[in-house]
Amino acid sequence: MRRWAVLPLAISLVLPAADTYTAAERRHWAFQKRTHPDIPAFTAVSGQAWVRTPVDAFILARLKKANITPAPAADPRTLIRRLYLDVTGLPPTPEETARFLASPTPQAWEKLVDALLASRGYGERQAQQWLDLVRFAETDGFEYDTQRHDAWRYRDYVIRSFETDKPYDQFVREQLAGDELDPNNEEYRVAAGFQRLGALRKNAGNQEVASSRNEVLTEMTNIVGAAFLGMTLGCARCHDHKFDPIRQKDYYRVQAYFAATQEAEVPISTAEQQAAWKAKTDALNTRIKDVKESMKGLEGAARLQKTKELEALEEQLPQPLPSLFSVQDDQTKAAPVHVLTRGEWNKRGDAVGMRPPGILLAPDIPDELPVTTPKPREILAAWLTAPDHPLTPRVMANRIWLSHFGRGIVNTPNDFGRMGLRPTHPELLDFLANQLVENGWHMKPIHRMILLSSTYQQASDRQLPEAAKEADPDNKLWWRFERHRLDSEQIRDSMLAMAGTLNLKPYGPSVIVPVQKELIGLLYKPSQWKVTEDASEHGRRSIYLLAKRNLRVPFMDVFDSPDRLVSCPRRESSTHAPQALELLNGAFSNQLAAVFAERLKREADASPQRMVERAFQLSAGRPPSSEELRTSLDFMKTQPLSEFALAVFNLNAFLYVN
Amino acid sequence: MLAERAARAGVKNPLAPKPPHMPDKAKAKSVIFLFMAGGPSHIETFDPKPLLNELNGQKRPAEFGEAKYQFIKPDARLMGTKRTFARYGKSGIEVSDLFPHTAQIVDDLAIIRSCHADMVVHSAAQYQMFTGRIIPGFPAMGSWVVYGLGNESDSLPAYVVLPDPHGALEGGQPMYSNGFLPAVYQPTMLRPGPRPILNLSLPAGVDPAERKKTIGLIRQLNEANLREGDEEFEARIASYDLAFKMQTEAPDVFDISRESPETLEMYGVGEEKTDDYGRRCLLARRMVEKGVRFVCAVSGGGTGETQWDAHANIEENHPRMAVQTDKAVAGLIRDLKRRGMLDSTLVLWGGEFGRSPEAEGGKGRDHHNLGFSMWMAGGGIKGGQVIGATDAIGLKAIEKPYHIRDIHTTVLNQLGLQQDALSYMHLGRRERLTEIQGEVIREIV
Repeated sequence: MRRWAVLPLAISLVLPAADTYTAAERRHWAFQKRTHPDIPAFTAVSGQAWVRTPVDAFILARLKKANITPAPAADPRTLIRRLYLDVTGLPPTPEETARFLASPTPQAWEKLVDALLASRGYGERQAQQWLDLVRFAETDGFEYDTQRHDAWRYRDYVIRSFETDKPYDQFVREQLAGDELDPNNEEYRVAAGFQRLGALRKNAGNQEVASSRNEVLTEMTNIVGAAFLGMTLGCARCHDHKFDPIRQKDYYRVQAYFAATQEAEVPISTAEQQAAWKAKTDALNTRIKDVKESMKGLEGAARLQKTKELEALEEQLPQPLPSLFSVQDDQTKAAPVHVLTRGEWNKRGDAVGMRPPGILLAPDIPDELPVTTPKPREILAAWLTAPDHPLTPRVMANRIWLSHFGRGIVNTPNDFGRMGLRPTHPELLDFLANQLVENGWHMKPIHRMILLSSTYQQASDRQLPEAAKEADPDNKLWWRFERHRLDSEQIRDSMLAMAGTLNLKPYGPSVIVPVQKELIGLLYKPSQWKVTEDASEHGRRSIYLLAKRNLRVPFMDVFDSPDRLVSCPRRESSTHAPQALELLNGAFSNQLAAVFAERLKREADASPQRMVERAFQLSAGRPPSSEELRTSLDFMKTQPLSEFALAVFNLNAFLYVN
Repeated sequence: MLAERAARAGVKNPLAPKPPHMPDKAKAKSVIFLFMAGGPSHIETFDPKPLLNELNGQKRPAEFGEAKYQFIKPDARLMGTKRTFARYGKSGIEVSDLFPHTAQIVDDLAIIRSCHADMVVHSAAQYQMFTGRIIPGFPAMGSWVVYGLGNESDSLPAYVVLPDPHGALEGGQPMYSNGFLPAVYQPTMLRPGPRPILNLSLPAGVDPAERKKTIGLIRQLNEANLREGDEEFEARIASYDLAFKMQTEAPDVFDISRESPETLEMYGVGEEKTDDYGRRCLLARRMVEKGVRFVCAVSGGGTGETQWDAHANIEENHPRMAVQTDKAVAGLIRDLKRRGMLDSTLVLWGGEFGRSPEAEGGKGRDHHNLGFSMWMAGGGIKGGQVIGATDAIGLKAIEKPYHIRDIHTTVLNQLGLQQDALSYMHLGRRERLTEIQGEVIREIV
């Protein structure tokens, strides 16, 4: 029974015209209830041996239909590197590799999988993917790009949620409605900061309150579609969705859940701290006001002088006191929600109440709830996380799959609509989604089932059976593992690990790393980039670097790190010359190469051969081939060790996971 | 060896030149956007309004309708201009005395007096001017154009921005950015000083000959792991060859010492007030000459005073900004023309909006997006004409109004790109530069 139906004020069987759907619209696969497919069984011994987890049964059944034999298992060295980078975002140490290679049994693999899923690295890696998805950043964007000093708490909340294997339904509820669930629970309040993650336009002068509010509501609404529903809800803001049965009215009905949602900074400082802060701020503001006053009528150089004075004063303003970046409902400020013609705030059509998109409720579509209904977001969250919801579990199960294979079962992870791609393995998707729900929405068991599978452990060798290459050149059926380039965080964090200067300190306020001063000059307010004084902090994992919208660290940028302005469900992986220039000439890789060289010297007793071996172990997780060894030794006869170390950062053997 | 590998990897090089969608319409190969940041006043430049001078000091007559400004209040008074206009060239187009040099090339310009946009604050208006959207996160037209046409140069980046050394703009990095397009389409920001392109020169103290050996080692080790038919690894190895080529050849483009004194003079290089923007315009020409697809040369940066953002005093701000740019802009058009490059280079001039007919604080003008002027030249544009008109006080575009998206559509059209075909699937939507269907400005193509 749908939870929706038990809510008050609901239920009406009279369908408004806009709520009627054609058979074709209703038939779309993603709107159907999940099936409960049987796990395919295999009679042949070879099949039985290959099937280690149900995942394999679904994959093998499709491969057999296409007459394709799966690739053999990758060698243990390849596997352990794949697993570490995939699950934790960091390469295994040579010692960890050696330990596994001593006895690479299925039992040892299982133990390793469990250990890594229990590690903090798992939380940090999974969190990054979630942060991409919800376009997490720590600044407002637009011209002021003001820092949100407490936004890091949301980042930590996400890491901890994955680390502790928080059930996904709870994770959704806390983010959508944490403040409504329990306003006194700090964790929940931080989670609800989710509502405020979008970029925010503020301007001096005349305020257009209604249009600004419309922008805020748009951000809140669209992300629900993108992140949780896997639907391009935002397409229905200006008109009925062109491809999916989402009416424009549906869009504003979802928006209505947020009508009462307002920003809230929840103070967590003492009364004394607050008083001291206020005194200092007031004093400075008085001086700022005076300068502004004295600027009136000034021009040219004199005005410029005053502007500088003003900036200097503004810089002295104390950092805000710690607080929780959150939201709360304020019914007194809840404006009626109208359908807006072309999405323009001043072109108001019908007023609407709260209700999920009709296609997901049909055939018994209830009435809208009035926007004054208490705890509206809790209601939305309850609907989204109902165990039989057709989309929420499928969408998340697909993201989990994507995180390991680089490609989703539905390879348009934010679009399960009619313009999206269809699932390559619909039964497997439903099976995983069912498992997610049946496991109490815990995600680690799903990861585990994938990581233990033969499917995941296949070799990525591209020279495998010609037959398979011809029948399925894009490897859609997963007859091999897909080699892929490390993403920007994996590259940076691995380089720090190789050099031995990775600082694994978790959590806390974000770090600002040094970047070229010309780049800071490209900020509208260069004073916003205050490099963290403690240099050991500069070697923190990339997830702890300040996520500033108007200054992206070039190293991350060039390797396709997303722009934090729109949801990013899957990283791009481009190949271009500026990447080579960054790794060859960039300050980060050159400075780190020197440190890496020192480490090699130290750990290999200055024996050139051992240094080369160590370097390959650290970067590629394997010893060098005889050709690689010879070439490297020849080079080292005449060239500095740091140049060799720099070269290692540039090797495909390092930059790719096999 | 190098060329052979590059050729083999060519299939995978996303920047390889691509044919336009409409080869018969493709007139321009490159675009130079002369971006006048902060919003130059149309009233003081290309759109004379005698009635405004008559109404100086009065409230706006009701028949002109409403406008929303960022700062000035509804009770503001209209302000006439102190600029004088005269007719120039065969076309007899009126240009103000702010632009004596531009006035001389007016027969090459198609001046659109009826531009309009949606936002009255800088950041959002800049996003719209560059990306077609009023929010950040969408690809800029430079990225779109390179995505559509690739790069003609193999030693220079395809999309280059030359910011004003006075500082950044309100829109910041996202206004120039590739948005959700792959990083290969990102802009290259040219910085002032001896290292104009990030990572293009070696770190201090590194000997180029020695570093070349390191690059040789990288190639050898990567080739050791290369199997026949592995296109991605081929492309990655080729990207190192390309990086090396950029590193050795690109610096040449920045060396303007071999330009003739006469050319330097055309751009105002070497004269105190015009040197800075003159160099940027000259560099723009030099880059386009080498096949760079899209160059944006920005005038204005830092605080409003060092942009065209004349809130305090239009008569102080605009003459100063005009002197800095006028000679260089005219020099660029002339230089392109005499080199036979103007036909294949589309030059676009304008800010993110214009300025208010009303006074701000007595002498300034506020932002204004409902009617303002931009111009285009070259790249198959029919010059020597004025298109559209604002009302008698320069408040609203009333005759043949053209939205920013129409400007974008026209730029794409001249490159032979079609707004619908130039699309990218993103989060379930086929995104394009223009979002809503734009119109080609028929009068000028």
